[in-house]
Amino acid sequence: MTVTSLTARPAPAPAPRVAPRNLARLLWVELRHNAMPLVLPLIAVLFWFDSYRIAATLPPLWVVRLYYILGQGHALIDFAPFVAGVAAWMGSRDGRRGMGDLVTATVRPRWEAQLATWAATAIWAVGAYLVVMAVTLALLGRSVAWGGPPWWPVAADAVGIAAFASLGFTLGACFPSRFIAPMAAFGGLFAMAISSQTGFSASGGWALILPTMSNGNFGQDAGIFYQWLPDLPIDRVIFAAGVAVAAAGLLGLRPAAGGLRLRHCAAVVTVTGAAASVAAVVLAFTAQLGPYGVVIPALHDAASDRPVRYTPACGHAGIPVCLQPAYRPYLPDVTAALRPLIGEVAGLPGAPVRASQVAAVFAGGPGVQIGPASVGQILTLSGSPPALYMPLGAMALPNSFGADTAGFIDQIKVEAVHTLVTSGGAYGNPAQQAVEAALLQKAGIPPADQPSAMSTTPWPLMGGGPRSAAKYPPAIAAAARRFAALPTATRHAWLAAHLAALRAGHLTLAQLP
Amino acid sequence: MTPAGVHHAAPGARPAPVTAQVTGPARGWLRLAWLYLVSRRAPAALALLAGFGALLWAALHWHWNVAGGAAAAIVIPLVTESGAAAVIAVTTYGPFGEPERATGRWLPWLRLGAAVVLTAAAIGVLAAGATGGDLPGGFVAMARNVAGLTGTGLLAAAALGGMLAWTGPMAYLVLTESALAAGLTTPWVWPARPPLDRGGAICAYAVFAAGLALVTARGVRESVRDT
Repeated sequence: MTVTSLTARPAPAPAPRVAPRNLARLLWVELRHNAMPLVLPLIAVLFWFDSYRIAATLPPLWVVRLYYILGQGHALIDFAPFVAGVAAWMGSRDGRRGMGDLVTATVRPRWEAQLATWAATAIWAVGAYLVVMAVTLALLGRSVAWGGPPWWPVAADAVGIAAFASLGFTLGACFPSRFIAPMAAFGGLFAMAISSQTGFSASGGWALILPTMSNGNFGQDAGIFYQWLPDLPIDRVIFAAGVAVAAAGLLGLRPAAGGLRLRHCAAVVTVTGAAASVAAVVLAFTAQLGPYGVVIPALHDAASDRPVRYTPACGHAGIPVCLQPAYRPYLPDVTAALRPLIGEVAGLPGAPVRASQVAAVFAGGPGVQIGPASVGQILTLSGSPPALYMPLGAMALPNSFGADTAGFIDQIKVEAVHTLVTSGGAYGNPAQQAVEAALLQKAGIPPADQPSAMSTTPWPLMGGGPRSAAKYPPAIAAAARRFAALPTATRHAWLAAHLAALRAGHLTLAQLP
Repeated sequence: MTPAGVHHAAPGARPAPVTAQVTGPARGWLRLAWLYLVSRRAPAALALLAGFGALLWAALHWHWNVAGGAAAAIVIPLVTESGAAAVIAVTTYGPFGEPERATGRWLPWLRLGAAVVLTAAAIGVLAAGATGGDLPGGFVAMARNVAGLTGTGLLAAAALGGMLAWTGPMAYLVLTESALAAGLTTPWVWPARPPLDRGGAICAYAVFAAGLALVTARGVRESVRDT
């Protein structure tokens, strides 16, 4: 009998693949014994006090309400330090207990077991963040009339929390001590404080990668007139994911982590994560500020530039007044502001025949005019027949920045009168100021209240002291009183004859009636 | 025969060193306190407290500032004080659990003593660090803040366990910064109050006393998740 004549025996049945199931069981054990759930109630209370409580008082627009939570990164500030601290505690577990040698000798590679603990910690943290954000968005959205929240910034913060969990865990695993948890937590808080400081002051470049950086990328009328640009949040996701992966990979580089093959694999993971983070920072340097936010050419999708379709919400204030439906709650305020003024100027050559809201944008661009260069985005009068264009998103809405409804209405009145009497954003000559003061009086702002009403506009009265305590020069005040005291028909007739010359700045104070 | 019945050393066994012998009650007390402090990693805590003192000195000496209003003006000293309080709070974590509680007659006094000594040490090193420049509020405010923050840490230790005691000062720090940004002036936000403000001092030292009392009487919570 030769070897070739032997009947082949059937190959033995392959051993059942139990590794994935065992890993799942290990993950389940780690999830059940994780310390993260203990601090989640505390994080929820902090989030409510620091983020939700303030956001809930802001105007009912997604972009405004989420500016504090997502734009300025308070969600991450509330979560990240605690997540980093608890993750460090979990990462230091074996080292603190002096069980390093014991667990290294087990059948499962050390890195694999640590990844299970890391994954359980990250799942608790990110899961809690998503639940908290879901509840927050549901509660905040109850009073928002139109639109939806931005999802990419939510995702960026979620991945950021995973990155803090990863960094904390690796720190704990490398320096096991009871003090590593508070050190990691305070390191996280210190990092977020520095991030906030830089985010407030920086305008671009690498600082765009910071989660607390809102300049030029979160605000204005994003998600209302134009889409939320996902470029920067995607870049932040890449950065945070790279940090998370690199930190997790570092755990596998240690000699006790496993065999040579596994450590090579860990090295590849670490390098990949680090490369992703570096690439994200490089991409941030290529960012450009466009009308609708930060554009990163390599990540930009042209479909994001399409304007948002909507059916305007319209009212009547002597002329049709139409707003973007997200601003529907402010329609009564806008019509109340314009009605008395339109009553004064209706029928005049150059007076508006309709009023429409326009988008407040981040910067000028092709086909997008940002307004007079000296004063930024204000109410403007243009077109034929003339129309009043109102970038309400650039104004202080009621309940934001200390503004109230009366201040908001006064601000619209002042800007509307100013654009009617003074073309562009110029301060106005004495004759223009006098007519403006008289029209404001007729529109419902008494002379005594005008300094205060004008204090938040680009044209405050100058008096050397507080803006709200300034006064008109006596000559202008006297001319304004005279003009306001004219019978309505006389004033209307004079404006019909002289409004064009007045707007052009060709009249002097002495030429007023 | 049990070990209790052994009265003679085994042949060849080395005698115990003379220096380790307890010669009196005072020495015994000192040894007990030292062993307790070592079990709580107090020496490492003192080193970290010294580090926070150095950090405060550097921050004041080189004028590290965070731009902004009232919340930003005190953020660096407050972070330093919170860090010191967190370290003190974490020293309450004990590795022995039930056996220690069952046999440690003097455990409450040791807990009280350790917390008080470490708080005093924190105030001392931060006062030394404050020589680096102009500390907002001066020594009185710093001592009040450290005491109050330590109190939050001790309360957190009683509620969550020693391992998570650091969350107390950390959470209080976040709440304080948020309250300051919102313009709240309640005495419970004592870092925002003037140094000699009675309400702020009462609140801070009341929290410290409550934390001390709870940790002394009941000890810290031990969790099944303390793995």
